[in-house]
Amino acid sequence: MLLCGAKLLAQTTQAVTCATCHEAQTSVQPLSQMGQAAELPGHNATLATHEKMSFRSGIYTYTVETRDGQSRYTVTDGTQSITIPIVWALGSQAQTWVLERNGKLFESQVSFYPSINGLAITTGDDQWKPKDLEEAIGRPLIDAEAKACFTCHSTNSLSDGQLNLAKATPGLTCEHCHVGTSAHLAGIMKGDAHTLPPSLGKLSPEDMSNFCGQCHRSWETVVRNHWHGEADVRFQPYRLANSKCFDGSDPRISCVACHDPHKRLVRGSAANYDAKCLACHAPPLPTDAKDAVHGKVCPKAKSDCTSCHMPKVALPNGLMQFSDHEIRVVKTGEPYPN
Amino acid sequence: MTVSMPNTQREGWPISNDRKLRGLPAFALFLCFSLAATAQETGADFDGIAANAEAARKQGNIEAATQLYAQAVALKPQWQDGWWFLGVLQYQQNEFVPAHDALSHYLELKPEAGAALALRGLCEFETEQYPESLRDLQHGIELGAASQPRNADIVLYHEALLLTRLGRFEEAIGKYSAFVKQGKVNEDLTTGIGLAGLRMSLLPRDVDPQRAPFVAMTGGAAAMIMRSEMDSGREGFEEIFKQFPNAPNVHYFYGYLLFPTDPAAAIGQFKQELAVAPKSAIANGMLGWAYVSQGAYADAMPVAEKAIAEDPSLTVGQLVLGKAMVETDNPSGGIPHLEKVLQSEPENLEAHLTLVKAYSKLGRKDDARHERLTCLDLSRGGTQPRVTP
Repeated sequence: MLLCGAKLLAQTTQAVTCATCHEAQTSVQPLSQMGQAAELPGHNATLATHEKMSFRSGIYTYTVETRDGQSRYTVTDGTQSITIPIVWALGSQAQTWVLERNGKLFESQVSFYPSINGLAITTGDDQWKPKDLEEAIGRPLIDAEAKACFTCHSTNSLSDGQLNLAKATPGLTCEHCHVGTSAHLAGIMKGDAHTLPPSLGKLSPEDMSNFCGQCHRSWETVVRNHWHGEADVRFQPYRLANSKCFDGSDPRISCVACHDPHKRLVRGSAANYDAKCLACHAPPLPTDAKDAVHGKVCPKAKSDCTSCHMPKVALPNGLMQFSDHEIRVVKTGEPYPN
Repeated sequence: MTVSMPNTQREGWPISNDRKLRGLPAFALFLCFSLAATAQETGADFDGIAANAEAARKQGNIEAATQLYAQAVALKPQWQDGWWFLGVLQYQQNEFVPAHDALSHYLELKPEAGAALALRGLCEFETEQYPESLRDLQHGIELGAASQPRNADIVLYHEALLLTRLGRFEEAIGKYSAFVKQGKVNEDLTTGIGLAGLRMSLLPRDVDPQRAPFVAMTGGAAAMIMRSEMDSGREGFEEIFKQFPNAPNVHYFYGYLLFPTDPAAAIGQFKQELAVAPKSAIANGMLGWAYVSQGAYADAMPVAEKAIAEDPSLTVGQLVLGKAMVETDNPSGGIPHLEKVLQSEPENLEAHLTLVKAYSKLGRKDDARHERLTCLDLSRGGTQPRVTP
């Protein structure tokens, strides 16, 4: 059937795209947070709706102004100022800007946070103490960091292993995760359906965690870097793998068991996840396999599981909060486990 | 009268050579003054001798002070400060065996004295008891012997020397790198770096004078790479390749230094090393590790096998082979290699991390969980780098 479809496509005169066969995914993915992981000028709703924002840190004042679809980032010490056009805005909610000056890339010292509807110091840069106006722009990005930023917030940002922003597409598109999409399309055009990219759906939970963790930080990455503290609540694959119930070979506890990566994440609806939790934490059914593994049944409630077992944790700067993916029985007053 | 102590004015680095590091008494005395005889012991003879010992020490009459402290501790073997000062004074006079004995008595009374452990380690260094010396120095460091910058330089430099002497070259390079990043570079340090990088289990004083320029050149070029002066470092290494084209371990060392920032270039260097020394276990092992870091597990396996064939005890060879097998869906095959790594290095994080994956793939949930918790424990023991957004 697939081969027949490929032959039919080969006979069509219309351009074949991912959407030709995968319309259900391609119609929603561009609207997802990952699809909007970066924005270019003219498409940046956050900046378009915040024409002028300012923030003061020590002797430096930061201003982000947007006019006619162009945004500028200015830092001044009161006597001198530096203004840089904003080209790359990274983040679908909170937004940090990657700035270019004299051929070097900088992570903006201030970022936009929806929680305060304005600017504050970029998360993780609290300790960056600029010695002069140049340094006040933001933290300089070494090559590996810049690659990491754009590899996770855009598609096709690397050419022969080198950063090539001219060719990068903002946000994540099909090719980002499904490596080999271009070859697959070319094959389909020739009626060859044997060019399917590797099926990510077949990955084990452990491998899926590592796959998503390439950007969301894998368990190994966090452990290897000795990252500890509330800030690591952002690293969901790490937190999930710390859960007592995590089993790298049980598909009921995997990133994609709860999240469809093609769809926009709906926040604030704990009930949406109940069925996922109850897939394990429910009494066995007569129809279950003999060796089916069941977790403990919650004595307190049968709904809104995540509201208790995956509490919201604020970052140390208080500007963002995340659901803690370390699923557990949370005890009152206990410290953040890490 | 002014107390006259050799090298008391020394301010940390540089140290002209490792034989002259008996500036350490300054370090030790600096610490011991804080101990200042606090409680005078009872007993007329003892009191008198102890007071005289202290007076002699303060007057800089080292020989007399040594004799008096020896008499005092003979009368009262529980006198902690007596053993401490006796050990320090004997060390100062190059009497390393009795100094070691005195410090051992002190440590029996006060086992958690980091400075005394470090000083005993330095005695052992001088008497060429290298494993014991390293053990004492590292224990002393754990207990704070290197918490003051002037002491840190002496203690950590000796630690690096000993790591090299005992064949733990990569650990030594890590210690030297910390010095270089603090801007502390001198001839002794570059020689030390050269020895560690060239995998020569020697102390700087034992280097053949004819080989010394080669060793120092290598260390100097490496120091530039450690300071991120990549172009200068490359030029330095190219000059060494030109002058010493068949010298083993130079390409390996250059590749090792390049690996964190340029794995592809590192692979090229490891391959060149194997052209010079085809049986080099460490070059095969690191080449395999570089392949693993790029996800080229199929390439990693044969070179890891070569590394193990040459040296079955080589940790990196076992680790690469174990990791490559686990990553290529042969977790059962990889586990024994990872277990071998842990036999020699029980806290090897990479081996534990890979075991998590192996057990997970095999559906051994409890074993995976156990390894995961071990990794978290090991991770908590390290430093905390910056968390990027």
